[in-house]
Amino acid sequence: MASQQTEIDELFDVKNAYYIGSYQQCINEAQKVKPSSPDKVTERDMFLYRAYIAQRKYGVVMDDIKSSSSAELQAVKMFAEYLSNEGKRDTIVADLDKKMAKSVDVANTTFLLMAASIYFHEMNTDAALRTLHQGESLECMAMTIQVLLKLDRVDLARKELKKMQEQDEDATLTQLATAWVNLAVGGEKLQDAYYIFQEMSDKYSSTLLLLNGQGACHMAQNKWEEAEGVLQEALDKDSGHPETLINLIVLTQHLGKAPEVTNRYMSQLKDAHKAHPFLKEYFAKENEFDRLAMQYAPSA
Amino acid sequence: MYERSALYQRNSIFIQAAETMLTKFETKSARVKGLSFHPKRPWILASLHNGVIQLWDYRMCTLIDKFDEHDGPVRGIDFHKQQPLFVSGGDDYKIKVWNYKLRRCLFTLLGHLDYIRTTFFHHEYPWILSASDDQTIRIWNWQSRTCVCVLTGHNHYVMCAQFHPSEDLVVSASLDQTVRVWDISGLRKKNLSPGSMETEVRGISGVDLFGASDAVVKHVLEGHDRGVNWAAFHPSMPLIVSGADDRQVKIWRMNESKAWELDTCRGHYNNVSCAVFHPRQELILSNSEDKSIRVWDMSKRTGVQTFRRDHDRFWVLGAHPNLNLFAAGHDSGMLVFKLERERPAYAVYGNMLYYVKERFLRQLDFHSSKDTAVMQLRCLSGSKFPVFSMSYNPAENAVLLCTRATNLENSTYDLYSIPRDSDSQNPDAPEGKRSSGLTAVWVARNRFAVLDRMHSLLIKNLKNEIVKKVAVPSCEEIFYAGTGSLLLRDADGVTLFDVQQKRSLATVKITKVKYVVWSADTSHVALLAKHAIMICNRKLESLCNIHENIRVKSGAWDESGVFIYTTSNHIKYALTSGDHGIIRTLDLPIYVTRVRGNSVYCLDRECRPRVLTIDPTEYRFKLALVNRKYEEVLHMVRNAKLVGQSIIAYLQKKGYPEVALHCVSKMRSVCVSAWLCVCGNMCVALEAAKALDERGCWERLGEAALLQGHHQVVEMCYQRTKNFDKLTFLYLITGNLAKLRKMMKIAEIRKDMSGHYQGALYLGDVSERVRILKSCGQKSLAYLTAATHGMDEEAEALKETFDPEKETVPDIDPDAQLLQPPPPINPLDTNWPLLTVSKGFFEGAISAKGKAGQMAADLDMDAPGGEGWGEDAELQLDEDGFMDAQDGVGEEGAMGKEEGGGWEVEEDLDLPPELELPAGAGGGAEDGFFVPPTKGVSPTQMWCNNSQLPVDHILAGSLETAMRLLHDQVGVVQFSPYKPLFMQTLSRGRTCYLGLPSLPCLRGHPQRNWKEAGAKQGVPAVGLRLSDLIARLQQCYQLTTAGRFEDAVERFRVILLSVPLLVVDNKQEIAEAQQLITICREYIVGLTMETERKKLPKDTLEQQKRLCEMAAYFTHCSLQPVHMVLVLRTALNLFFKLRNFKTAAGFARRLLELGPKPEVAQQTRKILAACEKTLTDAHQLNYDPHNPFDLCAASFTPLYRGRPVEKCPLSGACYCPTYKGQVCRVTQVTEIGKDVIGLRVSPLQFR
Repeated sequence: MASQQTEIDELFDVKNAYYIGSYQQCINEAQKVKPSSPDKVTERDMFLYRAYIAQRKYGVVMDDIKSSSSAELQAVKMFAEYLSNEGKRDTIVADLDKKMAKSVDVANTTFLLMAASIYFHEMNTDAALRTLHQGESLECMAMTIQVLLKLDRVDLARKELKKMQEQDEDATLTQLATAWVNLAVGGEKLQDAYYIFQEMSDKYSSTLLLLNGQGACHMAQNKWEEAEGVLQEALDKDSGHPETLINLIVLTQHLGKAPEVTNRYMSQLKDAHKAHPFLKEYFAKENEFDRLAMQYAPSA
Repeated sequence: MYERSALYQRNSIFIQAAETMLTKFETKSARVKGLSFHPKRPWILASLHNGVIQLWDYRMCTLIDKFDEHDGPVRGIDFHKQQPLFVSGGDDYKIKVWNYKLRRCLFTLLGHLDYIRTTFFHHEYPWILSASDDQTIRIWNWQSRTCVCVLTGHNHYVMCAQFHPSEDLVVSASLDQTVRVWDISGLRKKNLSPGSMETEVRGISGVDLFGASDAVVKHVLEGHDRGVNWAAFHPSMPLIVSGADDRQVKIWRMNESKAWELDTCRGHYNNVSCAVFHPRQELILSNSEDKSIRVWDMSKRTGVQTFRRDHDRFWVLGAHPNLNLFAAGHDSGMLVFKLERERPAYAVYGNMLYYVKERFLRQLDFHSSKDTAVMQLRCLSGSKFPVFSMSYNPAENAVLLCTRATNLENSTYDLYSIPRDSDSQNPDAPEGKRSSGLTAVWVARNRFAVLDRMHSLLIKNLKNEIVKKVAVPSCEEIFYAGTGSLLLRDADGVTLFDVQQKRSLATVKITKVKYVVWSADTSHVALLAKHAIMICNRKLESLCNIHENIRVKSGAWDESGVFIYTTSNHIKYALTSGDHGIIRTLDLPIYVTRVRGNSVYCLDRECRPRVLTIDPTEYRFKLALVNRKYEEVLHMVRNAKLVGQSIIAYLQKKGYPEVALHCVSKMRSVCVSAWLCVCGNMCVALEAAKALDERGCWERLGEAALLQGHHQVVEMCYQRTKNFDKLTFLYLITGNLAKLRKMMKIAEIRKDMSGHYQGALYLGDVSERVRILKSCGQKSLAYLTAATHGMDEEAEALKETFDPEKETVPDIDPDAQLLQPPPPINPLDTNWPLLTVSKGFFEGAISAKGKAGQMAADLDMDAPGGEGWGEDAELQLDEDGFMDAQDGVGEEGAMGKEEGGGWEVEEDLDLPPELELPAGAGGGAEDGFFVPPTKGVSPTQMWCNNSQLPVDHILAGSLETAMRLLHDQVGVVQFSPYKPLFMQTLSRGRTCYLGLPSLPCLRGHPQRNWKEAGAKQGVPAVGLRLSDLIARLQQCYQLTTAGRFEDAVERFRVILLSVPLLVVDNKQEIAEAQQLITICREYIVGLTMETERKKLPKDTLEQQKRLCEMAAYFTHCSLQPVHMVLVLRTALNLFFKLRNFKTAAGFARRLLELGPKPEVAQQTRKILAACEKTLTDAHQLNYDPHNPFDLCAASFTPLYRGRPVEKCPLSGACYCPTYKGQVCRVTQVTEIGKDVIGLRVSPLQFR
């Protein structure tokens, strides 16, 4: 804790850009920065490739990371492979399960994070949490919080957040995690969450991640007009961003816009992001509807 | 005595804290013995020990004038209050009256017999009062230039004598240790009574014939133990202050009859040379040979402030009559200073200005100009220091006010949260939190940074608790720098510091930054130092540096990114490119708070908000140029009053000569055309020159054209300027012999021999040359020329004219060579190849307007060919860079399995106590296991628990329960039409936000009761409003009017089906919802029936009767009048045709009651008239208008009262009992006659 307080992180800009969702900037910064030690080089590369993953440029990652690369990067590559190819997911998960069954190098935080990410995508929250539990980094904690929120365990998320705050309250990740938890807690905390996103976009740059966060805060506070502003800004940045589209589907209805407007965003989403969890859930609900509807019939 | 010793103690305490003063201006010179402020202009006179009088502008810090006529030291000096005069008195015994406008001494008053110590004008009468070492005080009339009175009585040097500011009194101080007060009312009466003769008192007698004195001693004030150096009246109270060699400052009080010593201020430890009252505050200022100036509190008689110099003894003090300014003269010059800062503490956020005025924090709304006091500041009561600076936090509506003590270490700050609602008349005085610290500024919504007195940085939270300490490099001052950042100032630079990372991001060198102004988007920052401004970008890279000779006061960014700043006497602008200039002058300093358009919002020194108007044209123009917004530039040039050499010079300097072209019509300046030429567009330049038609202009144009090779223009220029020599030479070199000959003729006419001859020489015209030489008497030359060129006849003739007596015929040089100009091979009519001039945007723009063409046509010459232009004709406009579209976050993850995989037991894990599982979660008890937590209760589950309204369940995604509810409440049995509504509703239940990159997003749950929901009581935000549904009715009505019945029915049905998915708050809205159902039902029934009717055959009478019946039933649906009119007309027509006149008449009457359009009404009346002739029905129909009935929505038959009816549980549509159990035709989802709970759209219905 103390060491973190005093030490200046040369990769701060790289990490920060990554966490706030400014991936291109992260890549740019990573290419600019001159790390002082081989460890830092690995760390930098890890963020660089993860930023590529976030941009869905899986090919770059898989081509660049050779089998001779460090264990950390191998983990990143594994995640890229997992995301890029839906058909191979089961084998990758099976491999991962095997690796996890053996003793794991706990110092390899990256591996833990990547493994947890895969489990998270697999909706295997237990495995994800168990994996993350072995790590002590802020990001492990942040991911733990995200999993806990997914499980609707706000109480545990708050406890985990407290640990993060003890470690470094001002860190970008802690701030972001605070915002997530606040969003889940609701009520007065929503405004605090909003301020966190707002401050970050003031301080660094506004990204889709931050804008959607702000939008979610506004909508949770029923401030629909305000939400329209930030979501429109997000849409201007990327007209095909799935989370933005989902939020706009929510928003347009609450604003009382014509159903056609909502449907347009829905079609856009369906066109570009067939595999998005939202749509998967949506289609599942459609089927459920049809199934349930069969249970009813007029008596004559 | 006791009291006095106590006083001493206090003084000794205060002596320890020597302070730096707010020096505004300092001069270096010989010893300054006298000072006088000009009452209106920023001027001060200083009289020096070396005999010089200096006139300074203390605002511009310049010496305006010097007056050096006195011999020896000048001690007395005073400005006249109204006239451009001042008076001086010196050790040369002379009093001199000067006019500073004429810059000379007007006259000298002689009479004193020793050094003159002070000289003062009377504020009203034309009098001068002088005090002298000859032990007298004299009063002079400067109009008659005579001494009108001599006041004798002191028995030592009189060091000072001053008029009372309003009464007929004089106070004097003498080395005889007394202060005397003189009554001069006699003198006034005598001088101002009509017919009084001043000349009477010419000598040195103050006593008239009857022994009454003009001036008598009224009081003698004794108390000083040594000689008194200075005495002065209080501006309004009957008080006198004096300073003496006994090191004391004494305050005296007087009334009509007596005067007495009131108190003594002790503290100086050498002779007190001067003491004055503060013109407006209860303060006394004194200075002394102990090298200090001291400020005393008048009522407490305690020292307030001490300013000390190391080497200079102080001699004199001056107070400005109306401004917060003082001056002090010392051994090596003088200084002008202030006692307190006048800069108000203020902060701007959005449209709000927050500022401290008196004891209040005030808020000014820039839009509405509403100015309110939002709170009373407790910290100011009892504090002698004003608020130094302010930092406002919009998120928490909190404010930090820093108060800087004269001893910096004692500075404090106060943290207040501003009350939400406050009575402006009597605002709250909330409790603040005070701590010591130099400066405090917000760095985040819930954090602020404090620079403490040890110059280390503390980060504190809203509770004023230290969150962390940050070690910073040497730092004297901190400024805001956006969220999470600070600007730290050290001795020679400013550092951008990230508080979170605890590291410096950038540093820029600039000394002593005093203020920092960020642009609205924090992309730029202006660093203001005393005499310099530096503009930097966000990364603190210096963009420009501006040096000012005068103090920089304040600044603000306007919306276009121009920095508007003020100095002591100007409002100026600065572009980030470094261009800067004056916008307007100022009488008094102001503090800019905001700039919008041509309004400058500011606070003045009295803390009054003001708005000044400026002309932004110049800087907008420059900004447009810098930003390459040429369209805008062109527009401004064409439309704005943008005239002036400075702009032209600017354009030229900055490399935009072509812009100047467009100033042509506006400009009347030689220099314009020069720039026109620089830009090389000769056509336009020529046009300009023609317009101006000035000699200088033509000359410049000629030069430029010559350089460019445009000799036709050159020719014109030479013609215009009548430059014959050059024109001649031009014709020579262009080989234009005809014109050259013409020039020769012109020269002949002008009797310009030399020109004429030159022309002939150029032309090679020998006979002409001979003729010229002959005519001007150069016979021998003429002969020689003729002879040499073999013009023998001519030579002979000439030879004969020689007088052999006196003249000798010159010998002809046999080797003479003929001077023959080469004949031009090809006379040059066209221009020389022209130098190419790059073509900018403006020329393109202007030619596009067809102007260039016109201009060219105007000119009497060939337009330059197009060669060399084509390639250059491209615009320089920058395309706006495209933002790199950032790729979206990959979110392809699958969201499939709900259940976790099998538990894998990891031996090496500890069970952290934090992750305790709620009771009931089995296996958690075993040691060494990490036990993943069970799934919690999601908000959507809560929603279902908390509500019995179907929509809440759909939003929660619980379709099963939602269907169950709809089934039970309104009898829905066929859900397929509800599918789109369900899916849409479902899709608005949850928002998305992104957690860590590349992970599935998190979901937000907007709740309609989010404020009070807590963890358990939430219900979802509905997103479907009754008002929206009602608004949608209009669309349906329009479709109905348009006759698109099927579309209309479809839409009415969507509305109808949506009603059960509403949530409303009150009974009225419940009723409205039900009414909405009714409206939809009536329309659906009616329109379906009408659609049905139109499909029916109408061949037989029975069929026709059925059609009529249905049309009649339709008129019993409850519709809007506009639709009812249509329905009634249809029915009327059908019935009339069927000759059922009686019923038709009924329809006609109903129709007329609705007030249809005139033509419809007219026709209806006609039909009605026709019907009434035979008021019978030809056919019997199943329709009785007088017997109330419900319409079966399936069979379209009337169900008269009393007959069994089955209803739809949702729409309330009626059916014949045979339809029971079937699906309602109106809703198409509900079961007719089903037994249900009823529509539930509000929690009220469950109570």
